[in-house]
Amino acid sequence: MSRNQRIALVVAAVAVAVLGFVIAQPGDDENGGDRAATTPAQTDTGGGSGDGGATAPAETDDEPPPPPEPEVTRIRMRDGSVVGGAQDIEVTRGDLVRIVVSSNAPDEIHLHGYDITRTPAPGEPARFQFRADAEGAFEIESHVAADAGKDPLVARLVVEPS
Amino acid sequence: VTFLAHGVSVRSDLPIPEWLFGWAAAMVLIVSFVALAILWPEPKLQREHWRPLPARISRVLTSRVVEVACGAIGIFLLGVVVYAGLRGVQSERANFATMFVYITFWVGLIPLAILFGDVFKAFNPWRAIGRAAGWAAGKASRSGLPAPLAYPERLGHWPAVAGIFLFAVAELVASDGTRPEGVAVATLIYSAVTFVAMALYGVETWISRGEAFSVYFNLFSRISVFETRGRVIGLRRPLSALAALKAGPGTVPLLAVMIGSVTFDGASEAPIWTGIAPDIANFFQDVGLSPRNALELAFLLGLTGTILLVYGFYMLGVLGAKSVGGGFGARELAKAFVHTLVPIALAYVAAHYFTLLLYDGQGIIYLLSDPLGDGSDLFGTADYEIDYTLLGSNAIWYCQVGFVVVGHVAALTLAHDRALAMYDRAKLAVRSQYWMLAVMVGFTSLALWLLSQANA
Repeated sequence: MSRNQRIALVVAAVAVAVLGFVIAQPGDDENGGDRAATTPAQTDTGGGSGDGGATAPAETDDEPPPPPEPEVTRIRMRDGSVVGGAQDIEVTRGDLVRIVVSSNAPDEIHLHGYDITRTPAPGEPARFQFRADAEGAFEIESHVAADAGKDPLVARLVVEPS
Repeated sequence: VTFLAHGVSVRSDLPIPEWLFGWAAAMVLIVSFVALAILWPEPKLQREHWRPLPARISRVLTSRVVEVACGAIGIFLLGVVVYAGLRGVQSERANFATMFVYITFWVGLIPLAILFGDVFKAFNPWRAIGRAAGWAAGKASRSGLPAPLAYPERLGHWPAVAGIFLFAVAELVASDGTRPEGVAVATLIYSAVTFVAMALYGVETWISRGEAFSVYFNLFSRISVFETRGRVIGLRRPLSALAALKAGPGTVPLLAVMIGSVTFDGASEAPIWTGIAPDIANFFQDVGLSPRNALELAFLLGLTGTILLVYGFYMLGVLGAKSVGGGFGARELAKAFVHTLVPIALAYVAAHYFTLLLYDGQGIIYLLSDPLGDGSDLFGTADYEIDYTLLGSNAIWYCQVGFVVVGHVAALTLAHDRALAMYDRAKLAVRSQYWMLAVMVGFTSLALWLLSQANA
């Protein structure tokens, strides 16, 4: 095979690869808006949950698009175990995430990566509220279960790219 | 509910999207056939073409002062690992011992080896202690030290196979394997074994042939262009040092352990394993094991089985290559091509542990100030928090796929070159390569599949 033929073959292969990439890659025409930048006005702050959720500054300009009400994920724990087993909480980067953990026993719940700890007690659910800015799957663990030698996994926070 | 603490990470990567998996797999095939068509017709990597760098560089970097300083750093870190493991808090992520051994050392030294060559040899604490002891003993005794025993050729790389396998067991199987205390005790036991073996067979002999971590990092350092000979640092052709690898007894199993353990680490988070592991564990529980031991035994079986599958798949390719003729035995061919698995092993490690090093590796910043996790703040960095926003998932996915494809290309280049050198008839060289190519496409596709499965 001559030198020119080799170069032609490489060029052809690169062209096929690039073309394949362009065709295979899903278009990102949906959700073109800058969703992540809008800060929804947040009125509900955590009741008896440690230092409470961060209150987002509620800037009410002329007519802001009504922000989608962030869904609240509720996790119930009974005697240190999650009712229904540990589930994945799937969100998109930039989302405002709200998780409420209720427990019939005092516990210490830690969201790794985001490094947020809340302490639910009977009748006093723990509220997590934060902006999902780091992508990946992060474990939410119960320190009480871990200390007792039980499976500490409460849930996994799965943050998909926007 | 029983569970096994799995590794040290609290964050895992998202699985690569289906379209990227498909595209990457197609790329692997395209790259393979284009490479076969355009790669050189004469062997080029069988000689290293080592050329020394300017003498001034070698004089500084290989001087006694630097040598002693590097050894001292290694010994100091070994001491910190043992002390922190025994005396510090028994929390994996708050103790220097666990985080340093499983991330900074085990994963972090690999990119250094790829870039700068066999760096670990300079910092190897066991080698430094062994050499210092030998030097002191030589000074003390008038008649000189007795000559060490000859290293049994039959041992080959087997001690390293055992060492790397046990490390994988500690990381992936043993429920106490990542507990700081467990790490410290294992480090002490491994050090004792290493000292005895060095006393028997000589420091440099054991380090280069039997000491598991030296052998492990040396394999990866052979990808680098830097090589020190005596006290001279030189440059060699990339990959040529892999072609110069002397495969002996245990070399093929060593690569099988390296690839198999990463494969199991990935697969053990995927449904293929999480679906059957409880059933296996329940079986052992019915036989009478405690829930914890039953699960550990299930994971040990999974790990061993995966390693055997990797070994078997490689040997299948070897048997295929044997069938094309040329008069080579299976054993001979297995050893002749085993160096081609090193870039594949690297691709597995890089794709799987890249974000562990990038993210959890930052933990060493706060641990330097607070190695015991007792609240001290030696350098003012104890409050450092890991930044999990450095790279988004898209960038991570492209890096992972990139590592796998580049590793594949390096592997098939090495196989091509070795085939040209082995077979005097070009036709046989090409035919044997189809088999090795099939092996590599298999391993590479498995790596991509694991990426697409992670935590699915």
